[in-house]
Amino acid sequence: MFKQVKELVIKDIRLNWRERYALYSMLLYVVSTSYVAYLSFEGIISENSWVALFWIIVLFAAMNASLQSFKKELNEQALFFYTLAKPRAILLSKTIYNSGLLIILTLLSYFIYSLFLGSPITAHWTFILCIILGSSAIASTLTLVAAIASKTNNSAGLMAVLSMPLLFPLLLNLIKTSKLCLSADLYFLAGNQLLFLALLNIVSVLLSYLLFPYLWRD
Amino acid sequence: MKLKWWKTLGILLVLYSIIAGLLMPVPALNILNETIRNLYFHVTMWFSMIILMLMSLIQSIRYLSSFDKLRDVKAETLASTGMFIATLGLTTGMIWAQFTWGTFWVNDPKLNGAAVTMLIYLAYFILRNSIENEDSRARVSAIYNILAFVMMIVFIGILPRMTDSLHPGNGGNPGFGNYDLDSNMRMVFYPAVIGWILIGSWIAQLSYRIKVLEINKENN
Repeated sequence: MFKQVKELVIKDIRLNWRERYALYSMLLYVVSTSYVAYLSFEGIISENSWVALFWIIVLFAAMNASLQSFKKELNEQALFFYTLAKPRAILLSKTIYNSGLLIILTLLSYFIYSLFLGSPITAHWTFILCIILGSSAIASTLTLVAAIASKTNNSAGLMAVLSMPLLFPLLLNLIKTSKLCLSADLYFLAGNQLLFLALLNIVSVLLSYLLFPYLWRD
Repeated sequence: MKLKWWKTLGILLVLYSIIAGLLMPVPALNILNETIRNLYFHVTMWFSMIILMLMSLIQSIRYLSSFDKLRDVKAETLASTGMFIATLGLTTGMIWAQFTWGTFWVNDPKLNGAAVTMLIYLAYFILRNSIENEDSRARVSAIYNILAFVMMIVFIGILPRMTDSLHPGNGGNPGFGNYDLDSNMRMVFYPAVIGWILIGSWIAQLSYRIKVLEINKENN
């Protein structure tokens, strides 16, 4: 099982590295939205808006990134994969790959975003932990939703409808945690929030692990 | 017309809770005053909605283990009845908020949780309608229903408890707690919960029967 997961993650990395334009398009998306934000706020942005805008940019980047994860798996090649590997291994590999991709993407966006708009964050390590836990929670929820949405006719539209309500409390939580990271005196209060993010991670991975075997076959 | 005993019991308990809920004495608590009577309607409806969603979840799980189409119909009708009762619960809560807080809606973790729950279940119905193949519709929506229920428990059960809330029962506000609910209120509250659960199941059963009749008509 673990060997399969490892092989599948490597396969995903290789496949996506071969088609780098998708990764570049996500980076370009982050750069251009940050630049638009820089222009529209004229470089002066309140701390609250900084936090809210950052997570909204990350959310849409994440939706774009994970929408592609099951697109390629809908043809005969996918059936071939399912005969080779356990469906659960496929799902776990997708979750790991998406989480890793999104963590890197979010860290890069943090860098690019602060380049244009500056960074009011003072508790850096707590914020980076929040980014890691938050992006992997977003990615693991979105992976299952992408798998569900890929079974429908209008997957791009339905992806937004299905994932928005599921991600909305997560987004509120992330904004709240990030606000705690703004001041050097309050960041230790973020512990509970980070715990909740970790819990949400576990719940969504567990649910997708349990439910995916029923989902893949047609 | 002869009714099953639990339907009669449901009617009696809800009637009792409406009459006794409006007439029985209630403790005079600050902030809440007489609006505490909303406990008999608003809170009981949310309880009933959660039970209906739980029943829908059980039907979805049983669908995935048996692939029996009727289980899927049951899950759908239970969820839609749950949504109906949740809408009633939301409306009573909003009317109560208008009188207690002075506004229909506030930005509060518990209210956000309720709104998110409604959105998640609305997405469930949209998902159902966007898949044409009947088998895959039943399977995919059963999976989403399980996801929706677990997320609902996280959003209205765990998340609001982590933060202070304006909602009664949180952050030192009087509400559904050991000290605030006296024995008189319990005598109305618990029967009302049972009554609304029974009425909710009855509505679900009726809409299930209508659905089955429609399906049979289509097949013939």
